[in-house]
Amino acid sequence: MNREGAVFVAVLALLWQGLASAGMLPGYLVSPTIILGEFVSLARSGELLRHSAVSLYRSLTGLALGAGLGVAIGLLAGISRRVAGFSEPLVSLTYPVPKVAFLPVLLVWFGISDMSKILLIALSCFYPCYIAALYGVRAVDPVWVWAARNMGARPGRVFFRVIVPGAAVHIFGGLRVSLALAFILMLASELIGSSNRLGLGFLLLNADAGGRFDIMFAAILAIATLGFAADRALLFIRRMLLAGYTVSEDVAHA
Amino acid sequence: MPRVARAVWTGIAPVYPVVVALLAWEAFARFGAANPRLFPGLGAIAEQAIVLLRGHQLGPHLGASMTRVALGFGLAVVTGVPLGMLMSRSARFGRTVEPLFSLGYPVPRIALYPIAVFIFGIGHTSKVILVALECLYPIAIQTYYGVRSVNRLYIWSAQNMGAGPSQVFWKVIAPAAAPHVFSGFRIALPIAFIVTVLTEMVSSTEGLGWLILYASASLVQARVFASVAIVAVIGFIVDRLLAVLRNRLIFWEREPVLVAMR
Amino acid sequence: MPLVEVEHLSQVFVRGDRRIAALDDLHLTVDEGEFVTVVGPSGCGKSTFLHILGGFIPPTEGSMRIAGRDISGPGPDRGVMFQELALFPWRTVFGNVTWGLEVQGRPPAERASIAERYLDLVGLLGFRDAFPLELSGGMKQRVALARVLAFDPTVLLMDEPFGALDAQTRELMQEELQRIWLRTGKTVLFVTHDVEEAVYLGDRVVVFSARPGHIKAEVPVQFPRPRSLEVKKSQAFLESRNQVWDLLREEVLKLREDAATREGAGE
Repeated sequence: MNREGAVFVAVLALLWQGLASAGMLPGYLVSPTIILGEFVSLARSGELLRHSAVSLYRSLTGLALGAGLGVAIGLLAGISRRVAGFSEPLVSLTYPVPKVAFLPVLLVWFGISDMSKILLIALSCFYPCYIAALYGVRAVDPVWVWAARNMGARPGRVFFRVIVPGAAVHIFGGLRVSLALAFILMLASELIGSSNRLGLGFLLLNADAGGRFDIMFAAILAIATLGFAADRALLFIRRMLLAGYTVSEDVAHA
Repeated sequence: MPRVARAVWTGIAPVYPVVVALLAWEAFARFGAANPRLFPGLGAIAEQAIVLLRGHQLGPHLGASMTRVALGFGLAVVTGVPLGMLMSRSARFGRTVEPLFSLGYPVPRIALYPIAVFIFGIGHTSKVILVALECLYPIAIQTYYGVRSVNRLYIWSAQNMGAGPSQVFWKVIAPAAAPHVFSGFRIALPIAFIVTVLTEMVSSTEGLGWLILYASASLVQARVFASVAIVAVIGFIVDRLLAVLRNRLIFWEREPVLVAMR
Repeated sequence: MPLVEVEHLSQVFVRGDRRIAALDDLHLTVDEGEFVTVVGPSGCGKSTFLHILGGFIPPTEGSMRIAGRDISGPGPDRGVMFQELALFPWRTVFGNVTWGLEVQGRPPAERASIAERYLDLVGLLGFRDAFPLELSGGMKQRVALARVLAFDPTVLLMDEPFGALDAQTRELMQEELQRIWLRTGKTVLFVTHDVEEAVYLGDRVVVFSARPGHIKAEVPVQFPRPRSLEVKKSQAFLESRNQVWDLLREEVLKLREDAATREGAGE
């Protein structure tokens, strides 16, 4: 992070701490030091790990399922007009629909288990990856495909060696959005539907019910850290896989 | 004959997959191994939808949700567009607020909702704040990109013709950046709708999200599906309206491909 | 007194810790009504020179005057025509041509009559309500020409305006431009990389040296006006063209030598 940004964050944090210590903040705006303290204590007691693990499991499983399907079908739709003709209307029709609205349905079908949440997450993660894969394939310059065929490559080879790498940049963009969505829906489903008393969303709700704002903020910090770390991990993977492409990570994402 | 067939096909093509999907649903509901109570047929769903629409329940809830969408989206526009512009005009300012995006973006802002409810109550405010917070990102980012990518030659031509800074801004930069800025709106509006429904499902006393939960409490699955279907249609209509508006305002450019969306 | 005077013009770009000298102690004068073309090897700074004259980039050193007044910043006294699209896509052809007049606060009726006059001059009056994206490259440049003439600048600065057009369109546009220039009597400074174009259009061809750019030579062109495209086939034309070409080639070869020595020195 650059200097001015770091200064900005530091100033905000210090301001918050200062006002809290001076007693000028309402009770629910707990000071950063207390939050950190609670965070550490939750980490030490293993509670944080327990809840984080469950939330992470739900998010990543849903992500893998949804993104996997999305990329696969998107790639297919990209190379085959017939597939696209079928999938495009369905996707554009259902895209503006809040997928979270399906949670009650899923809860009835699959109970209060992890499955309902994973399926909800998968449903949401499907879309950005499908769109990204589809347009990624379409963005591949036909000249590359022709050059490959000209050199004797069979269609299968062309697909995996030319089209997929060519679409990879777009696909990673879609993955990034899906990752963010996975966390959002994980939280949403834990905040709405019952969650077996496990998960960071549950931790948040429980603390809310008990009026424990220190735990609430600590949970928010945990969620933030998880989301941020997962995003960075994805960027790292992208950098490793796509070394040599023009990938610029600046202010705007995806 | 082939010409007629082709014309018919072009008309049907965008719709037939939906028809196929609906038929598949109906087939599964009737002949599949599913419990009819858990997996209602289209008829039952339609029935419940009509009940919902007739019973005057929809009106106030739709109004509440749309108010929240409008206010949240509006707030995000009013803060996000200037923010994006400032970020693009002043590199220093851009660097200063950068943490907002690099740190804030991957963090699920929905985590702040319970606290927002505690502070602002269960009504409109907490939801509007969250909607605004979520919509801020795509709007600010797209505005930033839009202003940044204004062709330098447009600005030079304008200055060449004697335009002062304010004229350059309103008559060149604004229209030149408009397609990107509108992209931000196109991305943000569905988000506003989604976040509204989501927050209403977490805690609310009214709204479309609440309606869905209320329907699910009745344990009549058909009713749940009906309410979900209605919400889906509303979301679709809202998105389409914005697309039409976009094509009328930004008439000189086709709608660019939107890859980053939710 | 010459209309345009450039003295001791130098331009140094600083990128990080590298200093790139683009122009070095450049002198140029242009008399009223003259059509001066500028050629030079790539990277020689001729476009930079035009941008500085246009007032978009401040020079590191030197002075520039138009009709005795110092140049600082862009303004409608120097009309600039660029190589690529600078037509506003959200405005019709008519809207583009009247843009500068709107900014100057002229009343609608006046704007309309001026715009129509120049659209007629470039032969596009029938397209006044079309949008730029509906036009071909040549048509777009004609609109750009109409736009730049409409606000009646003292001098026309043209930065490779036909560079993006195909060869046939380019030739036709050269003839068009000459016809329009003869009608309007403007003073023109025209930058190009095409030697034939420079000799065909200009009263005088200014040859830039390789970077850092300064004036290497000036070659007067004496064919009578109006010059049809046929003149390009004449012996005299070829001689002039070869003269300019040879001057240019010296500079291009110098560039290559420089690059080779730098490579050898492991830069």
